[in-house]
Amino acid sequence: MSRTLRLQIPLLIGLILFTIVNLIPIIWGFMISIRQPGDAFSIPPKLIFDPTLIFHYQVWFERGFLAFLWNSLIIAAGTICLSVPIGTMAAYGLARMKSKHSGKLLFGLLAVRMFPQILLAIPFFVMARGLGLADSYGMMILSMVAINQPFTIWLMRSFFLDVPIELDEAAMIDGCNRWQAFWMIVLPAVRPGLAVTSLFSALLAYNEFLFALILTGSRTKTLPVAIAEYGGEDISYWSLSAAGAIGIMLPVVIFTIAVQRHLIRGLTFGAVKG
Amino acid sequence: MIPSLIVMTVVLLYPLGSAIYFSFLHYYLGGGPTVFVGLQNYTELLVDARFWGDLLNTVIIVGCSVALQLFIGLGLALALYALHRGVRLISLLNFLPNVVTPVVGAIFLKWLFIGRFGLLDATLISLDVFPPDWLGDPFWAKFTLIMADTWKFMPFLMLVLYAGLQSFDVQLLEAAQIDGANAWQRLRFVILPMMKPLILFVVAIRAMDAFRFFDLVYVLTNGGPGTATETVTLYTYELGFHQLEVGKASALGVITLLIVAAIVGALIWSMSRRGREAF
Repeated sequence: MSRTLRLQIPLLIGLILFTIVNLIPIIWGFMISIRQPGDAFSIPPKLIFDPTLIFHYQVWFERGFLAFLWNSLIIAAGTICLSVPIGTMAAYGLARMKSKHSGKLLFGLLAVRMFPQILLAIPFFVMARGLGLADSYGMMILSMVAINQPFTIWLMRSFFLDVPIELDEAAMIDGCNRWQAFWMIVLPAVRPGLAVTSLFSALLAYNEFLFALILTGSRTKTLPVAIAEYGGEDISYWSLSAAGAIGIMLPVVIFTIAVQRHLIRGLTFGAVKG
Repeated sequence: MIPSLIVMTVVLLYPLGSAIYFSFLHYYLGGGPTVFVGLQNYTELLVDARFWGDLLNTVIIVGCSVALQLFIGLGLALALYALHRGVRLISLLNFLPNVVTPVVGAIFLKWLFIGRFGLLDATLISLDVFPPDWLGDPFWAKFTLIMADTWKFMPFLMLVLYAGLQSFDVQLLEAAQIDGANAWQRLRFVILPMMKPLILFVVAIRAMDAFRFFDLVYVLTNGGPGTATETVTLYTYELGFHQLEVGKASALGVITLLIVAAIVGALIWSMSRRGREAF
């Protein structure tokens, strides 16, 4: 007992210290966001100050970040609505079919994962200009679906594989056709998987920067582009842009807590069982 | 299946095909005729010193940071594995940098490293240490980017390696302990060999991501000073979206793809070869 404790306590303290150091950038950003710019850049760094939430209010309501949030949400929602249903059907097919082609298809999808995204960004940029769709939600959503589709298929497939195939077979013996078995029996069984896949797809669209930089304009600008432009050099803007940055981070934190049990599966495409 | 295939064709295969097609064209979006020039874009890039410099930057920055991430991530994974209580909270907190919107993470880091008023400089100055120019000096800017990339992606390695450790057969470790192996020997001869496929797997993933390394550089240094921290992706961006040289940018993208494919192919090859050998 005492021997394990002698190991556990320093280990725990060491890990807590590491965690604090690791999170300093975020903690520091939060501290900048709740104090006057004058306090934020004093030398030596000030640790005691009057906290204020005024910058959080200003950045969202007076500096138009609510509109950028709206754009981000529309694009994330559009990505989910297109990518998840289509990807789920494909994943079901790939999980249940025992043909040689499904292996090749899966590997092809994985290969797409390694494409440099910028190679995909160029044609999307050209198409958006050619079709007059620059600064529209549609192009941005389509590009997110393109990036997201292989991920959705792999992840949903790993959830379908967890459902025993006997369930489908039993349903079909009871008189369901393939489609009914999928829709009424298997799909409800993977509902948590659907939620997790949707959340990951939303996060991908929400965090995306390169495509948003290229495909969105003043009307459809998303939060990452807005904050990158805003995080300007002018020091008096620090508190405002810190408040924006912290605000943008909040949904991501909630997301992490919500999907913590599925993080590994989501991060590795389900290739490593989590 | 069918709807997905159609969608994939429209949004993925068609754009990729056109990008490859563009790479053989002299295609300037600002105007002028689009002409087929064969491999000219490629030959121009292969004698372009800026391309080779950027490739070197990418390899240095990513190579160093992946090595650092692997080292710290593995250490943390082992520490978490040995820990009895509080594992979930600690791993969740340490994981945050990885999911934070990359641009936002980069802005947080900028406030640490920015000259004079950043947390790092302010602390050093008040200790009477003269700080280097973290973002403006060619050497230190690379260092800063390595730190930034490590901060952002180490948690990913930590989490995957930790999950890998958990799925191992504890009996093997106990058997080694009974046979008198000390902690270091157990790590060296039992844990690491078992982890090898997983380590190669995460390194392969990170190597693929490396050539997408964009957000952090864009916000922190934008390739500067000069092109000291410019990566291949950043150069492609500059070519395609500022200079509007779509043909040349596509060619650079295709070259990047070939490099990534070669790296991943080599890793997969060594993985399957190692898989058959006894460690």
